[in-house]
Amino acid sequence: MDETRRYRTAECDRFELELDAYMDGEIRPSVPAHLRECVFCKVVFEDLTALRSAARELPLEEPSPVVWANIRAQLSREGAFAEKAGVWSWFWQLDFLRRPVPVAAFACMLALGCWLTAPQNNPQPKTTASLPTSAGEPTVVRSMAFLAGGEGLEKAIRELEKAFKAREATLAPDVKATYENSLSSLDASIRECNDSLQREPGNSLAHEYLFAAYSQKAEVLSSALEIDQGR
Amino acid sequence: MADRQQQKTIKTTATPFALGIFLCSLALPGIVVAAKGNRIEKTFEVAPNPRVTVSNARGQILIRGWDKQQVHIVYSVISPRVEVDSDVIPPSGPADKVHFSTHILDPLVSGKDQTADYSLDVPMGTDLEIRDTLGSVKIDKLQGDDATVETVGGAIVVSDFTGHLFVRSIGGNIDVIRAAGRVEAYSITGDLHFVSPTTSKLRATTTSGRIVFEGDFPDGGDYSLSEYSGDMDIICPPSASFELNAKTDRGKLENEMPITIRHQPATPLSSANSLFGTHLSGKATVNLKSFSGAIRIRQR
Repeated sequence: MDETRRYRTAECDRFELELDAYMDGEIRPSVPAHLRECVFCKVVFEDLTALRSAARELPLEEPSPVVWANIRAQLSREGAFAEKAGVWSWFWQLDFLRRPVPVAAFACMLALGCWLTAPQNNPQPKTTASLPTSAGEPTVVRSMAFLAGGEGLEKAIRELEKAFKAREATLAPDVKATYENSLSSLDASIRECNDSLQREPGNSLAHEYLFAAYSQKAEVLSSALEIDQGR
Repeated sequence: MADRQQQKTIKTTATPFALGIFLCSLALPGIVVAAKGNRIEKTFEVAPNPRVTVSNARGQILIRGWDKQQVHIVYSVISPRVEVDSDVIPPSGPADKVHFSTHILDPLVSGKDQTADYSLDVPMGTDLEIRDTLGSVKIDKLQGDDATVETVGGAIVVSDFTGHLFVRSIGGNIDVIRAAGRVEAYSITGDLHFVSPTTSKLRATTTSGRIVFEGDFPDGGDYSLSEYSGDMDIICPPSASFELNAKTDRGKLENEMPITIRHQPATPLSSANSLFGTHLSGKATVNLKSFSGAIRIRQR
């Protein structure tokens, strides 16, 4: 039996360089030859083989939509996507796509946008523009309940608000204050726009601002959830 | 005598060792480090058009353009429990990407003790991505393709920047001075202030902050300024040539510029105040929107 080497050599370096390709099925005669004579590299190879087998046994788990949205946002920032030409090019410029807004919230806001920009010919059913809320309750979005898809949007923003409430305690006081001020400002604009639409259902400016306020609110909540405080 | 011999041996052994360490540190490609107290200085050799990203929790970030193909950083921290990491891609040779991030090592470190201040000099053509939660960010004299700056509460000041500039702050004020290229600025409660832009495209939105625009509208420019409840002041020279679309739902609309009215709705659908018209030959497009804030257009 050949003497096995116990010290790292240049052949060990070469082995490392070729190991990946070998494990992917490529022909690398130097790899098995080196394994016969080097205990150290043999141990590394056996560990990697065991890891690979174990990994195959792991169950597949679908990452949350937030992960995909993050990846997409990062790829978009790096210019991985070709610019969309034509009439839909403006759509891809919408700012909230840079943030990991849940896919459901995005789809609901799109539905809301279609409704808000459609001509309003029929008087809207009377609904309460905003219900009084107790302190600490998520903002009421009940006025949107009669919209097609509005309930989905309501649910999406509620989920974001719940997640924000759960995260609030971990935020630094000045960070928390900034977020709370901005959410308060947006909630005020949502209430005013809803009041306007109650009086003037055809008010296109109010429609625009209402949609923008919801969109910004989702962005602010998402920002609070993903904020990195350096820890 | 024995002690002297021992000392001599130690010196003889230690001196080349220390010299070796010193020489090795100088030999590290592209990186020179100097430390003085808690102030660290580093220089990285970079490829053309590098990407530089900074992620910070609290503290000032200052970025300037310069004519060297290097990224030079000086940073300082207040607490020894705050660390600044740098990542370089690729790890050897001129870098395509350089990333700096602040890490709070001890969860008990809070408030101002988390502060890390950065000062960077970057080459022209650098793409920037800067995130500073509660600190201010200032960018000065830089030509880049793309710059993204985001803060939660910190102010953002960008001056003499050329390229696509995207700035967003939840509650901080944003000042953009003499920018060229394309500008997008967003805040919820912060004020937005634009001075002498020569941008081809400007988008700016704030919910309750104020917007002030001082400058001309270059030919072919497309400017959209929108606020919800704050006031908007547009101050432009008499030579500004623009097509104006201004509307507010509940706020006042005041105009000092001689505008040729394009049309006014005979029966307004809402109680909105609006003004659609042209000043001079209308070479730029200016869209101003407010819900309940005032819009004031004044002549400089």
